Amino acid sequence: MSLNTEALPKSQEVTASPEAAPQPWEPRIVGFACNWCTYAGADLAGLSRLQYPPSIRLIRVPCSGRVNPQFVIRAFQRGADGVLVAGCHPGDCHYSTGNYFTRRRFLLMQRLLEYMGMDPRRFQARWISGSEGPKFQQVVTQMTEDIKALGPNRKMRDVE
Amino acid sequence: MKTIAKSKVSALLDEIAKEFNLLVPTSGDGASKFAPYTPGSQASFDGRTLLPPKDVFFPQTEKMYKFTTDGMAGSLETVLEAPKHQMLFGVRPCDVKSIHELDHVFLTKGFVDEFYQSKRDRTFLVSIGCNGPAEPTCFCQSMGVNPQEADAVDVHLFDLGSEYGAAGKSENGEAFLQKYASFFNEADVQLPAVAEFALNPNVEGITEKLQQMFDHPLWEEVSKKCLGCGACTYLCPTCHCFDISGRVAGNQGFNFRCWDSCMFSEYTRMAGGHNPRPSKKERVRNRFLHKLQYFPERYGDLLCTGCGRCLSKCPVNIDITNIIKQIREVELA
Amino acid sequence: MITEKMRAAAKELLEKGEVETVIGWEKGTFWYNSTPAFISKPEQADRLVFDEFCANNLAKYLLDYRNADGKIAVFVKGCDARAVNRLLQDNQVKREKVYLIGIPCPGMKEAPKTGAAQDTASLPLLAKCQSCATPNPVIYDQLLGDPVPAREVPNRFAGVEALEAKGADEKYERWGKLFSECIRCYACRNVCPACNCRECAFDANGLNWLGKQNNLQENQMFNITRAMHVAGRCIECGECERVCPMGLPLMDINRKIIKDLNELFGSYDAGLNLEDRPPLGHYKLDDPEKFM
Repeated sequence: MSLNTEALPKSQEVTASPEAAPQPWEPRIVGFACNWCTYAGADLAGLSRLQYPPSIRLIRVPCSGRVNPQFVIRAFQRGADGVLVAGCHPGDCHYSTGNYFTRRRFLLMQRLLEYMGMDPRRFQARWISGSEGPKFQQVVTQMTEDIKALGPNRKMRDVE
Repeated sequence: MKTIAKSKVSALLDEIAKEFNLLVPTSGDGASKFAPYTPGSQASFDGRTLLPPKDVFFPQTEKMYKFTTDGMAGSLETVLEAPKHQMLFGVRPCDVKSIHELDHVFLTKGFVDEFYQSKRDRTFLVSIGCNGPAEPTCFCQSMGVNPQEADAVDVHLFDLGSEYGAAGKSENGEAFLQKYASFFNEADVQLPAVAEFALNPNVEGITEKLQQMFDHPLWEEVSKKCLGCGACTYLCPTCHCFDISGRVAGNQGFNFRCWDSCMFSEYTRMAGGHNPRPSKKERVRNRFLHKLQYFPERYGDLLCTGCGRCLSKCPVNIDITNIIKQIREVELA
Repeated sequence: MITEKMRAAAKELLEKGEVETVIGWEKGTFWYNSTPAFISKPEQADRLVFDEFCANNLAKYLLDYRNADGKIAVFVKGCDARAVNRLLQDNQVKREKVYLIGIPCPGMKEAPKTGAAQDTASLPLLAKCQSCATPNPVIYDQLLGDPVPAREVPNRFAGVEALEAKGADEKYERWGKLFSECIRCYACRNVCPACNCRECAFDANGLNWLGKQNNLQENQMFNITRAMHVAGRCIECGECERVCPMGLPLMDINRKIIKDLNELFGSYDAGLNLEDRPPLGHYKLDDPEKFM
């Protein structure tokens, strides 16, 4: 076991044709977005023509509290360079309290991942409401910048 | 007999490693197991390894087939490693017996498992005898194993205290001893007496008795403390159940097989949800009946080598020797 | 002698028909093995023992009797009692269906390396007992013997702190090496009194939470998830680490979580008090807000 990059699948090569010039590396961020706030926020960002990096892949979940720690681990294993869990602001949860549990659970998990040797900046949670299109833009831009600075994630990657 | 001083063994291993992919017992960090030998590293020949050598022939996870699909077309390819000579050095007689049992399963009765065979055929076996129980939990003698000598190997080394006495057990083994003759001396040797084993279960007639005990209340009793973990089966040198599963990503994927354990609840669960072994009573019973009844019925050998690994690592001390004793004590109507 | 009191208590309960089964310990293969025992007849009570090797946490077995008609008696040490509290909090067992016989615990001993007969007093305490702060049962119907004085306990987070101080790559290498050793026998899960799901996510193969391959990734998935699933419910009985055949330092993970929970959401020790709510089972409006 090592952090050797050669042993890892070169995912870009799978999609790009062999002749194509090597693409500059772009981070891939998996975003779990709550249906009621963040997903609407992302929608608003799109409707408002706000530019943000195409690095994020959104997965819509009913509530940020739906996000299981296993989702996060799998995302990293299957090639995510960063994972974002985003939901309603505390107090605004569609189900009243889901995000309060999220807040506790993922603060704990972020620290556990750090303990396991992951960079905690790769795993973030944010509260983005349905009216916060600009905040969604800003969060995705910032996280993309942060992860670009960190480089590709080589830890937890599934080498199969 | 040819002998080699124990202090000269590492020089011999350095020499062998030039020709073979050499696997030796190691006890570095983590559990003791067979691991590749690199010149200068330490092999540990004290007692038996915690992990048996079965994964050398039957890895815990093994890729079998790769496939790709392209519309209605597709390809399927068997994944077989290129044969490479390897030597397993320092196998104890109990584990030699386990390899013999695995051979039964994977190579006889009209079916040859090519994955197993490819590894088995290219492996040169060197065993080392024990002059008594290597661990308190050893009971190989009761399972028909001679702790001092193994026969189904290429070379056997007798433990003579400060040196090993070497005996070629196959043509290859004789040739091996010729080739490395410079490491060996010729001497008259006396084998030490075998020390007494603390555990001596009597297995005489047990298969026949078990044939009448499928519904006996004993199984309920002995299984109560079982936690249903797989430590016993995964450490067992003879347990060989496996599951085949696959992974698909896009238009390609692979199938692999991996160890499975009859102690796990989902082991017998069927696609519709029905589980013919719903509780630990049925699972524990199956484990012991497989070892002591079904396997002997099919292959004529007990599926236990007396290595004592299950007994030493079971979290709740489920003891096969004690269960054998209880089976013997049962009076059938 | 505790053993005599145990036998008498078990005999009485069974004779009066107050309980249908008594769960205790009996001698196993060797003098240094004590193993769980299930007694349902008064005359079997003499099998019971209590000595320095009764390390098994018996509370887990209460789950096997979730649907029993009668009452189940179980002997509990300090850690076992905390486990019972946790099961009660999770509504896994009903208080009126269990009869708890508390035993103050002087700490359990390690089995000797060679198996040779020797004085048990000279054997070291089990690692899990060295850092135990609750040797006396915190819940019981009947207590055998006198409470033992609380032991001097070293800083139980010292190991975690040392690991936290390491560099990220060093940590990752270390855990990767350890997780690669895991054989996924699930002994840690099956012995754990906090693991009380009727069906474990890892046994639901069809859902593919966990691939069956034994490789670093799946082992990471298993070990990290296991730790997250017992977060806030781990009673630090240390059974997972004790039973791991590969000797993985699982309590280093569990303790890290306990340490963080204490730092973030206030002091909490699982199973100590029935009234305390597990930290991941509730929330406060003014919880630390690190995410914004």
